[in-house]
Amino acid sequence: MSVEQEKLLVVKDLATTFHTAGGDLPAVGGVSFDMERNQTIGIVGESGSGKTVLSRTIMGLQQRTNVTVTGSVLLSGFEMVGASEDDKRKRWGTEVAMIFQDPMTSLNPVMKVGKQIDETLRVRLGMSKVDAKARAIELLELVGIPSPQYRYDAYPGQLSGGMRQRVVIAIALACSPQLLLADEPTTGLDVTIQAQILNLLEELKERLEMSVVLVTHDLGVVATRTSRIIVMYAGRIVEIGSTREVFAGHRMPYTRALLESSPKVSNASHTRLTTIPGRPPNLLKLTDGCSFAPRCSYATDKCRVERPELQAADEPGHMFACWNPLPKTRRTVRK
Amino acid sequence: MTETREPLLKVSDLVVTFGMGRHQVAAVAGVSFEIYEGETLGLVGESGCGKSTTGKALMRIVEPSSGTIELDGTDVIAQKGKALRNIRTRMQMIFQDPISSLNPRRRIKDIVAEPLDCWKSVTGDERDVLISDLLTKVGIDPKVYGNRYARQFSGGQCQRISIARSLAMRPKLLICDEMVSALDVSVQAQILNLLEDLKHEYGLTLLFIAHDLAVVKNVSDRVAVMYLGRICEIGPADTLYEAPAHPYTKFLLGAALEADPDSPVHGEVLGGEPPSPLNPPSGCRFRTRCPFATEKCVEIEPQLEEVAPGHHVACHYPLTISKK
Repeated sequence: MSVEQEKLLVVKDLATTFHTAGGDLPAVGGVSFDMERNQTIGIVGESGSGKTVLSRTIMGLQQRTNVTVTGSVLLSGFEMVGASEDDKRKRWGTEVAMIFQDPMTSLNPVMKVGKQIDETLRVRLGMSKVDAKARAIELLELVGIPSPQYRYDAYPGQLSGGMRQRVVIAIALACSPQLLLADEPTTGLDVTIQAQILNLLEELKERLEMSVVLVTHDLGVVATRTSRIIVMYAGRIVEIGSTREVFAGHRMPYTRALLESSPKVSNASHTRLTTIPGRPPNLLKLTDGCSFAPRCSYATDKCRVERPELQAADEPGHMFACWNPLPKTRRTVRK
Repeated sequence: MTETREPLLKVSDLVVTFGMGRHQVAAVAGVSFEIYEGETLGLVGESGCGKSTTGKALMRIVEPSSGTIELDGTDVIAQKGKALRNIRTRMQMIFQDPISSLNPRRRIKDIVAEPLDCWKSVTGDERDVLISDLLTKVGIDPKVYGNRYARQFSGGQCQRISIARSLAMRPKLLICDEMVSALDVSVQAQILNLLEDLKHEYGLTLLFIAHDLAVVKNVSDRVAVMYLGRICEIGPADTLYEAPAHPYTKFLLGAALEADPDSPVHGEVLGGEPPSPLNPPSGCRFRTRCPFATEKCVEIEPQLEEVAPGHHVACHYPLTISKK
């Protein structure tokens, strides 16, 4: 227990099930991982793999009547699953904060951006109006917004997408959280702006000594920015390990398929892409077997009836869920 | 790629403006390029650079303000009424959002057959054979799925149906506007491979518009890079990516993230954001963000000039190969 308290985040058997008209939908189906302080971890997967629901569940945002959350999320030793709204609210902002995908809709369009940063500071930290404004301007400067005094009075509609995402980051950082959950923070942005935002997040992580969970579908985003990667498929972790190990020594066929199906700038034009046949399974109709089996070229009868659990690979911390893993040989990612 | 062959599509000085008076925006501000028969031209750029508007202007979905568009020797801009509809059968467009580009309440075999029905070009029996054939070609079983409604399909399948619809009139030119950007990587790879196969089978010429540099390189023979309504660099895909000559192309490539932990973490990141096209900078449009800009760039707008065979750059100080 004491070891676990030292860790920033310990997730154990976390399952989020939506009760829909069509039946129970296990969006996250039993996920366990933990995270050290000052670490950046990437969660990758295709749409519907449960990565967003997982991050929202860690944050404690999924507590409506049609949802059941089981398992445990220990955030600096505090159990987030089943905690009261008041207890969770005390931790939002100061312990854990979240950045959402769409910077266009996560800000209030009829409120000045400065006021939206102030709000957090005054409610959470009890700052006075004057102090909060001064701190808000500091934060705007921290996230690299030019002429922050002037931008304090701007409405979100007057800012570009990249600037709005910077404001969202400023709000998330207002109370210096220990853990920042970034759900597709750069998906709607252009590549040059994406590079700016990712650099900013990396720089702020170092400067403010926080940990970042980077949720994305883009393998390029996690390749150079994270120390560990979680690969999700159909609501479960199928492979987890250090970034280098997952890219170069992955054992799960899905990880390889995901890596090989994305086109690369370094490949010559007209390079034939490797495809995964079929598409992700319907979560309402999951079988007892491995969820990837219907699309997997290595699948055997066992894969179709029995679900593989995560098992340890050679390198410590590297785990994969597969009955017929790829051989241990180290693959080169490029050339 | 630039032999003496006649280009299939020839665009010169294309200008598209929106709004009027003080609020006039030149979304496309003088774009010229050619596409040769059987090749794929990739058009990349950040949002707002005018790449989609260029594609739409070619189809005359938006009206060009000036310039010429020649398809196979026919002036597209001069056409009206029936003649314009006729020329549109020779070029087809595929849009970004596969789900909203199909009517959810129609059966997919009717969606694919619509161009044929409009032109009444085939008899009923031929129609059915053609539709089954097209659906089979794009990987959808017409017997099982032909009678289903468009709303019953996933994004990737809808994009397959869009492709089948666009091929129904046997076009020569296919304009693909961000056709895979809404899809997951595994589905994206399926669609890109399918497009490559169909290109050879139907002898298509493609204009492939996208913001994803890796995707564009994968499908293109030549690539054009747009910035703020103008083409700043155009050349063979492999050389352009290997040795970009325009500083903007270099930064754009530097910002593209490679799914490889050993890839160098890009040192130089392009600062700032594209200026408003309402009030574009004088001279070179990129000069406000360019680290190499000088007085000359403020005063004189650079024109596209050939730096290597088939490789044109609009820059006063093109990067040399050694500087890449």
